[in-house]
Amino acid sequence: MFKNHIKIAWRGLKMDKMFSALNILGLSIGLTIAILLFSFISFEKSFDKQYKSYSDIYRVLVNTTGDAFDKEIMATAPAAVAPALKEELSAVKYAARMLQHSFGETAFIKANNNNFIEKRLFWCDQELFSIFDTKFIKGDPASAITRPNTVVLSKSAAEKYFGTIDPMGKTIKVDDKTELEVTGVFEDFAKNSTIDCNLIASFSSTYFSKEPSWSNSSFETYVQLKDNASKVASENQMQQILDKNVDKQGQWYTLSLQPLSEVHLYSKDYTSTYTSRIGSISEIKNLSFLALLILLIACVNYMNLMTARSQKRAKDVGINKTLGASSKSLVGRFYAETGLLTLIALCIGVVLSIAIIPIFNTITGASIDYKFLMAPSFIIGVCIVWLVTTLVAGSYPAFYLSGFSPSAILKSANRTVSNAVIRKALVVFQFTASVVLIVGVLVVYQQLEFMKNKDLGYKPQNVIAVSTAAIKTYNKKQALANEVKKLSSVIEVGSAQGFPGMDVSGRSLHKNDQDENGKNIQTNVADASVLEVLQLKLLAGKTLPSVKQEGDTLVDVVLNKKAITYLGLTPEEAIGKKVDMQLGDNATIIGVVDDFNFESLHKPIGAYAFHNSRFEGKPYLLVRFNSASVANTMRQLESAYNKVATDSSFDYTFLDKNMEQLYEQDRKTAKVGLLFCLLAIFVACLGLFGLAAFTAEQRKKEIGVRKVLGASVLGITQMLSADFLKLIAVSIIIAFPVAYIIMQKWLETFAFRISIGWLVFFVAGMCAVIIALITVSFQAIKAATANPIKSLRTE
Amino acid sequence: MLLELNHIYKWVQSGGQKIFLLKDINLKVEEGEFISIMGPSGSGKSTLLNIIGMLDVFNEGEYNFLEDSVHNLKEKHRSNLYKQYIGFVFQAYHLLDELTVYENLEMPLLYKKYSSSERKALVADMLDKFNIVGKQNLFPSQLSGGQQQLVGIARALISNPKLILADEPTGNLNSKQGEEIMEIFKELNKEGVTIIQVTHSEKNAAYASRTINLLDGRQV
Repeated sequence: MFKNHIKIAWRGLKMDKMFSALNILGLSIGLTIAILLFSFISFEKSFDKQYKSYSDIYRVLVNTTGDAFDKEIMATAPAAVAPALKEELSAVKYAARMLQHSFGETAFIKANNNNFIEKRLFWCDQELFSIFDTKFIKGDPASAITRPNTVVLSKSAAEKYFGTIDPMGKTIKVDDKTELEVTGVFEDFAKNSTIDCNLIASFSSTYFSKEPSWSNSSFETYVQLKDNASKVASENQMQQILDKNVDKQGQWYTLSLQPLSEVHLYSKDYTSTYTSRIGSISEIKNLSFLALLILLIACVNYMNLMTARSQKRAKDVGINKTLGASSKSLVGRFYAETGLLTLIALCIGVVLSIAIIPIFNTITGASIDYKFLMAPSFIIGVCIVWLVTTLVAGSYPAFYLSGFSPSAILKSANRTVSNAVIRKALVVFQFTASVVLIVGVLVVYQQLEFMKNKDLGYKPQNVIAVSTAAIKTYNKKQALANEVKKLSSVIEVGSAQGFPGMDVSGRSLHKNDQDENGKNIQTNVADASVLEVLQLKLLAGKTLPSVKQEGDTLVDVVLNKKAITYLGLTPEEAIGKKVDMQLGDNATIIGVVDDFNFESLHKPIGAYAFHNSRFEGKPYLLVRFNSASVANTMRQLESAYNKVATDSSFDYTFLDKNMEQLYEQDRKTAKVGLLFCLLAIFVACLGLFGLAAFTAEQRKKEIGVRKVLGASVLGITQMLSADFLKLIAVSIIIAFPVAYIIMQKWLETFAFRISIGWLVFFVAGMCAVIIALITVSFQAIKAATANPIKSLRTE
Repeated sequence: MLLELNHIYKWVQSGGQKIFLLKDINLKVEEGEFISIMGPSGSGKSTLLNIIGMLDVFNEGEYNFLEDSVHNLKEKHRSNLYKQYIGFVFQAYHLLDELTVYENLEMPLLYKKYSSSERKALVADMLDKFNIVGKQNLFPSQLSGGQQQLVGIARALISNPKLILADEPTGNLNSKQGEEIMEIFKELNKEGVTIIQVTHSEKNAAYASRTINLLDGRQV
């Protein structure tokens, strides 16, 4: 019987090629998206599960208290935490600290007489390899980085630095200062590992291992608890350990443990983690919702197209029932038919997904590889998707059609179709979803355009930041600055600790002694010309002095308007006032600049200061250049750099590109959204096409009669199209408020945002109407131009 | 006695008025009879045939089929009854387009859960009997109307029904093909199959042993 169901279904597919193609196309698109999203979600969920002690590994979180840090949660802990926990907390089996080179800066590596730039050099405790079981190709994980000045390389790093030469025992030089001996090579960390180091140097090489402090919270700390140890009990004990080591007044944070299972997906809002692989559970939820929506649209489509053929189906069902078929066997038959169709669509979907994966990876930044598609969990998942799709898509035809009475076929009159309402509702659903997606994409694009063109208060265009971290002496840096200044295409040069768009040192600004919490302020060491390079607007006072005498304890500060507003001063009043912002007693305001967006537009503008204390260095040379010949300028800059810094590579950042990086996630959302939107509209059109075909078939006789009575082709086309326009109008009316609410919510994640104008809705509405008209009129014209004799003769 | 209709009425409501499709039909059919139902369009011929075939229900009266009182049966039992004893032949043949001649013949046997070897034997017999062995792998669209109706009859006969109901079986055929089909009905009747046919043609009606004439839902 089953074999027979499949045989009939297969021949049916072959007979009605256009319908089968429409059906398979719609379902394939839906399933492709479902498969892609499913693999993306499983990839994100698979993070870190490869580690044996997965369930016992925790990251130490620093929960700041007080207002200065806005209750921010840091993923990095003070250096003293790990040794203290290991020592005093019995439940801890292993503990390890990780410090990214210079708190997250690029490292300049010299190896085998070549210069390299390395973004993923970490200084770590040896127990890291016990916590995250790391496979060593050479060397011993238990002892490789116990000694100071040792380093282990990932396999790919070893190949990059040493080629075919055996790196064991060789030396690499970091930032032209520190020499490290290579004591091991490890297998690269998997792409779904949060830990993503290329080079791991011994933590004992660093200054912080000698005097671990309880205040500088810059060390990502992982612990592995013993089997069956309780997280809550351990956290309580951690508080006691903190109390023992830091007096109550010095405690600006509490400690907690984050299970490894939450590290990847639930850490988006935590600051200062070093990993480049941060997932987001809300992104996963949104994508899942979108994928399900599209799959649902495709299923709805299938139902629509199936019932559109109910005329022929009614006959089939009737014949089969007179031949002795039960309703049950007919339900089985329709399910078999749906199952076969979805299976074909699924196969196409799998092939398409494999073809699309590279593009998908670029868009979403995921790294799904083909091996993943062979994993049992993925195959089971795909089977589930297939089953669910079959059950959902097949339900309506199976139960609606198998219920036809056998006498229907013996009556010559057209069956009146009572389920027209349901079918119309299905189309309204599809188009509502499409219109919401169109509005969504338009709003996202408007917001992205707005961010691109917004006046940030400074000009990041044509500014490049050259890293000078590898240049040791002040004189050499000065020499480089002078060299660069001489270039014809360079307008202005300044050196600074950092630049807008990157984190600099956080301090707290206090109004007076009573103001205990203060306000969080970003402080950036800079020289005189930096304001000029960034083209900041000076509201009062002057820029930092160009020369600072040796031994001068006075700290000059240029604040932004936000900061002086917090202090309760006007720009003019502020000049010459002393300011308490953890820069010593002699910090004096000498200038005020207008507010500028030094962070992403997601965040409101905070307090910012340029100053000339000696607490921090100035590892960046900021260069404003003439936009005429960027390539030429870059060549000149590089050769100037290489003249001064012979032992390290040229590393640079364009400020505007760096700003754009901040919106990478938003652009990803826009791209995925646009893709989904186009596909959803396409699939919805297939459904509308089916419905139009169905209606035309149903009204064939009516159209014939009208034509015989003298109706024109245009008149009939209009009559048929008007009905559908009503459905589209209903969809639009439902879609607008839904889209408005959803997009308003999205926009609220930006501190600087557009307001949604009526134009967006107008454009979205017109798009829907035009697309629907094109789809429907094809069928309408076909029906209207048909010869009426044919349709009237069938009686 | 095969079946008996007593005072059968069927009507539909239209605008608060009863419109009678069948009025007081009384009919007794013995096994082995060949009956023609005649009458002009709209006289209720097809409705009567559908009621006899249990595809349609009536509003009043009694219908006994063998030992069962059809008017007292639930839908499910009724359909079991017709599936077991009645074969249908249609004016428009109503073969399944996706299936070959062989598979069309096999279909009723599949629904009745015959074993594979039984199906093979029965279908082979039928193909043989109607001389269509050479056409067994063709699809309906590859056959002439007369050949399609031949397959339709073979399919109605395959599960060995007691009664064949034919609704204008020659209506879509030319006169020569029609004659051939009627000859086959005559043969079948001789072999003992009970046949009730609806027809417009006096000539075809003459093949039957008895004719029932209908006018506006009444027997005349």
